Amino acid sequence: MKRFRTLTGLAWISPWLLGFACFTMLPLAMGMWYSFTDWTLLEPAIPIGMDNYQRLLGDEVVHIATWNTLLYLVISIPLLTVASIAMAVLLSKPARFQAFWRVAVFAPSVLPLVALATIFKLMYDAELGAMNKGLSYVGIDGPNWFGTEAWAMTAIILMNLWVVGPAMVIYLAALRDVPRDLNEAASLDGVSWWGRLVNVTLPMISPVILFNVIIGFINAAQVFVVPYIMTGGGPNRGTYFWSMYVYDAAFKYGDMGYASTLGVVQFAAILLLTLGLLLVGRRYVYYRGGMT
Amino acid sequence: MVPAGQYHAVMPDQLGRTVSIVVLCLAAAVAIGFVTFGPRPGTSEHGDRIVLNYWEKWTGTEAQAMQQVVDAFNESQDRIHVNYLTMSSIDEKAMLAIAGGAPPDVLGLWSFNLPFYAQAEAILPLDLPDIVAETYAPAVRPLVFDGDQQLAGVNTCSSVALYVNLAHLDRAGLDYRNGGPPRTLEQFDAMIPHLTIYDEDGNVEQAGFLHMDPGWWHWCWPGYFGGQLYDVETDVATIDSPENIAAFTWFQQGQRRYGLDQLRRFQSAPTDNPSPYRNFLTGRLSMTIQGPWLARVIAERAPDLQWAAWPLPGPAGEPGAPAGPIECDILVVPKGAPHPEEAMEFIAFTQRQDMVELVSALHAKPSPLMEVSPEFYFNHLNTSIKVHEAILHSPNAFGTPAVATWPEMNAALDAGIDRIWNGDEDVAAVLADVQAEVNGQLERARVRRERRGQERFGVCP
Repeated sequence: MKRFRTLTGLAWISPWLLGFACFTMLPLAMGMWYSFTDWTLLEPAIPIGMDNYQRLLGDEVVHIATWNTLLYLVISIPLLTVASIAMAVLLSKPARFQAFWRVAVFAPSVLPLVALATIFKLMYDAELGAMNKGLSYVGIDGPNWFGTEAWAMTAIILMNLWVVGPAMVIYLAALRDVPRDLNEAASLDGVSWWGRLVNVTLPMISPVILFNVIIGFINAAQVFVVPYIMTGGGPNRGTYFWSMYVYDAAFKYGDMGYASTLGVVQFAAILLLTLGLLLVGRRYVYYRGGMT
Repeated sequence: MVPAGQYHAVMPDQLGRTVSIVVLCLAAAVAIGFVTFGPRPGTSEHGDRIVLNYWEKWTGTEAQAMQQVVDAFNESQDRIHVNYLTMSSIDEKAMLAIAGGAPPDVLGLWSFNLPFYAQAEAILPLDLPDIVAETYAPAVRPLVFDGDQQLAGVNTCSSVALYVNLAHLDRAGLDYRNGGPPRTLEQFDAMIPHLTIYDEDGNVEQAGFLHMDPGWWHWCWPGYFGGQLYDVETDVATIDSPENIAAFTWFQQGQRRYGLDQLRRFQSAPTDNPSPYRNFLTGRLSMTIQGPWLARVIAERAPDLQWAAWPLPGPAGEPGAPAGPIECDILVVPKGAPHPEEAMEFIAFTQRQDMVELVSALHAKPSPLMEVSPEFYFNHLNTSIKVHEAILHSPNAFGTPAVATWPEMNAALDAGIDRIWNGDEDVAAVLADVQAEVNGQLERARVRRERRGQERFGVCP
């Protein structure tokens, strides 16, 4: 009987299993194999042991891409988290046209990233762009956004805030789930709005914060489309991220073996850092039902 | 509702039936989908002809020009039909198609792609009747031959020249009619301040010359100074050579002449022309380096512009043998092409003088062949075509380095040029950094060739 039920269950999930095996596990296994080879895509792969990994350690471009990616992660994830929680808290309050505001905040997330990046590239134009025009109205002489490494990175990070919608929707749902009696009890005890937010609301939604941080981290660690379109990795590789190097090595330089190595290292790094975040989460995240 | 005691006895049968129905429905859906949308036996509209798939990178007017050659070939015989497909990012798609074992029969690439594909043995040597290296202009030969072996046919070829707004020169009192084009870099540099106009706020209203407008040939400056980026004979990068330092120092002075803030304002200023040539077409830029197709663009978008094309002078060039970069659009037969012999027959047809001249004239480019018919020059879209031809046939013409790692080398150079232009850094120090990075690339390429027992591209006898 048990065997029959297992087989039935497997039959039901077989389409997904097949897809997962063919389009995730197999490419992953092949990528790992190719990471130990010299493969130009156009010629047979030749096993070269750890050569690609040794090269990676001394590769100056890898160092630049790693630094840029880490910088982007460290700045963009906290910013995105704070912005999306703030938007969710604001939009959870009763207000006129509440549904409209929620849709307005979420709507940019529906746009393809390619279109968004193109629009923002125009907005960041030093002379004609809306960004500098807006700054000029408050007496600030806007920078040449793509002229220096620092401003180009800032432009990409700020653009990332435009797509707070998905995280905000999840926070909105989590905020509805915060027990009202806790907030009321705190209020009766004279705790301020800020105190209730920090000591009641945020701990109660901390599992959701962890979830969003992890999802945001995984996405940010693979950032590609926006810098590829907005800056092409420049100036002077100032916005050249790890995924861009994977793409260039594979399809521009025809060095698929090394691109596989970069991909495997990226995968391992994301996996390890995600596990690290989960471990940290155990300490700081409050699970109402207790962790199972 | 199933009584609790009977649940386990009944459910397996029900589940089994449900699973069977679902699986059968899925199988039926797949079968219907396959029958409806699946592959079909070849129902060629071209009868018994062999159909060649030809991938090309052009769009618009340029694609239509090549279509005329394809049509002429299809009408010239009744054995082969060429199916002409144009697409973007063709080099990346071709790489995947060849690796996947489904390449087209004929592939239109850029000449700078050839060393990589040839080094990977991903293209077939061509055997074209009556065509030898001497069929082509000297500067074209190394772009399509590896030693005696022809690897590509030439579709079109372009050389880069200095396009000049003659009305600006007249207004500035620069007597080009009697004096002719500038013969030295000093004469050229001296013209630029005369052609630069500032508005009452001190902003550049009209620029004389900008190295980075549109900035498509950032690798070319050493060629005007007698330098090169790579020595194909010795397989050594020469990026930080004295000639190259001099070339990029001159390049950097182009930025310092105006200042970065001025340039930012100038290049971002609104114009009613959205093309990459907008500053020249709208009269905001007096001189620019461009390919011969600019003549066609001017005729279409700024027909009143009075212009001429001159060679850009430099220490390396001279009026009789001007310097300038050249590039070719090439045709290759990829490894694994279904019909290689027929593909070569088509490429041989495209190399006929009349076909080369047809497509070159419609592209407003010079002919890549040594022999050019007098008719080619009649009604040519580019009235300065002889200038482009002189550069093409000059011993001082130069192409991108004939090295398989050029895309990677170019990326390193790009980053260095960013530092020189935007960062205002010391040119020699930046080029030394680029040289070190490129040395690593060349060393890896050498190790890769040794692993495969390959000869280096460009050293075949």
